Amino acid sequence: MIFENMGFYFREALLSFRRSTLMSIAAILSITTILLIVGFFLLISVNLNLFLENLESQLEIIVYLEDNISQAELSTLTNNLNSITGIKEVKFVSKEEAYQRLSKDLGELKDILSAIEKNPLPASFEIQIKDPKTIEQIANQVTKFIKVEEVEYGREIAERLLNFTYIFRRAGMLILALLVFSSILIISNIIKITVYARRNEIEIMSLVGATSWFVKSPFIIEGFLQGFISSVLSTIILYNFYFFAINKVHQAIPFLPLVVDKVDLLPIGIAIVLLGSLVGVLGSMFSVGKYLNV
Amino acid sequence: MIRMFHVDKNYPNKIQALRDINIHIKKGEFVFLVGATGAGKSTFLKLIYRGIVPTKGQVIVDGINIARLKPGYIPYLRRNIGIVFQDFKLLYDRMVCENISFGLKAVGATNFEIRQQVKKVLNLVGLENKRKIKPHLLSGGEQQKLCIARAIANEPLILLTDEPTGNLDPYTSWEIMKLLFHINIRGTTIIMASHDKLMVDKAKKRVVRLERGRIIEDTQRGIY
Repeated sequence: MIFENMGFYFREALLSFRRSTLMSIAAILSITTILLIVGFFLLISVNLNLFLENLESQLEIIVYLEDNISQAELSTLTNNLNSITGIKEVKFVSKEEAYQRLSKDLGELKDILSAIEKNPLPASFEIQIKDPKTIEQIANQVTKFIKVEEVEYGREIAERLLNFTYIFRRAGMLILALLVFSSILIISNIIKITVYARRNEIEIMSLVGATSWFVKSPFIIEGFLQGFISSVLSTIILYNFYFFAINKVHQAIPFLPLVVDKVDLLPIGIAIVLLGSLVGVLGSMFSVGKYLNV
Repeated sequence: MIRMFHVDKNYPNKIQALRDINIHIKKGEFVFLVGATGAGKSTFLKLIYRGIVPTKGQVIVDGINIARLKPGYIPYLRRNIGIVFQDFKLLYDRMVCENISFGLKAVGATNFEIRQQVKKVLNLVGLENKRKIKPHLLSGGEQQKLCIARAIANEPLILLTDEPTGNLDPYTSWEIMKLLFHINIRGTTIIMASHDKLMVDKAKKRVVRLERGRIIEDTQRGIY
């Protein structure tokens, strides 16, 4: 019965759009606005996340080596380091390279190095890790290797940074959850108003012996269409606005990490469309149910 | 067709709408339900189409105990019952013919059956030439006729009418009454809640009088 009458339900849903054009437009615009706010926050949180990841990726472990390390020991150590799980990249910095870096860093003051007879800087490994949370554990593991003089990873800074990013992410998730929750409430209330305007129709249908699915189906389709159109509309507005805005931001602050790949933003578009459509369907289903009990 | 045994209906605000109702309405009968406002007439009708369930007692409609009827089966009970309201309950954004066809569509009629039936009932109530206009362009009497047309389109066994002449002038009221008699002669059981003394007296049909939720009088060929 449900599928037999699919054409009728769609026709009824579209007719109802036409019969109450103003009401439908008002509903679509209101839902679009709510979804724009949700989408805007999602875009901010995605970029914030990228910024935090960027910060975290700058955390690294520096392993200073003893001066008397042999070539064979160095090779063993390199293999050992590479075999540790969770390591992204291991880079060897020789004593000479370290000296050159220092000399470069000192700039005009590099002459003071001439007062030193022998290169005092140790050779080292610079280790980048995959997950910043494992930094301490990996550093402890590396300390135990032979010919390792000292391991440095800026423990305090790392802890502070990780705490900061943790709090930021949690706060973001909480705000997002609240925003999604309130948008669900608002959208379902908008749908409820459109259903309320047609409660007479629901009552009459119910009294002439229409099954509850027969009554609900056109409303569900209408709710879905309202949610879907609104979400597609808000996604289009959001994307256009976003790419316009990041162009401007890039011109002003070129080094700021921003999500620029359209594919990376696809999940946000999908989430908004799903949210709008689903709330449209569920909102109308529950609202009609309320007026069906006559 | 309709039997009630020791039926009580109490509403949540402790109002006793019906008390110990016992009645038997046979197939093809025309019954007037009279009584003051609040006597329980609308509650009586609601019990028949299972708009409510009795607090106590049994209501049997066409062999079905409505209190035991599962919600999923209510639509099928209602397909045998036509309902006419004083306030018409028409869909004013749809044409006259659509007001009838959408009810038929709801019960699964084919497009061909719908066209045939809409034509038939509009002819019967005399609105055939107004099928393409919106109900707000009809007079009060015509709107009530449309309401009756919608209620009988499905050829129900029972027609419940809740003060159908309440807002109409005596001439139009009598037109409506004649239409209802005609439907009744064709075999439909009709229960009509009414305040209209003139119509009740003129009709000379069975009159059931309710007072404070009780049946205090049940007369064949009665008067108001």
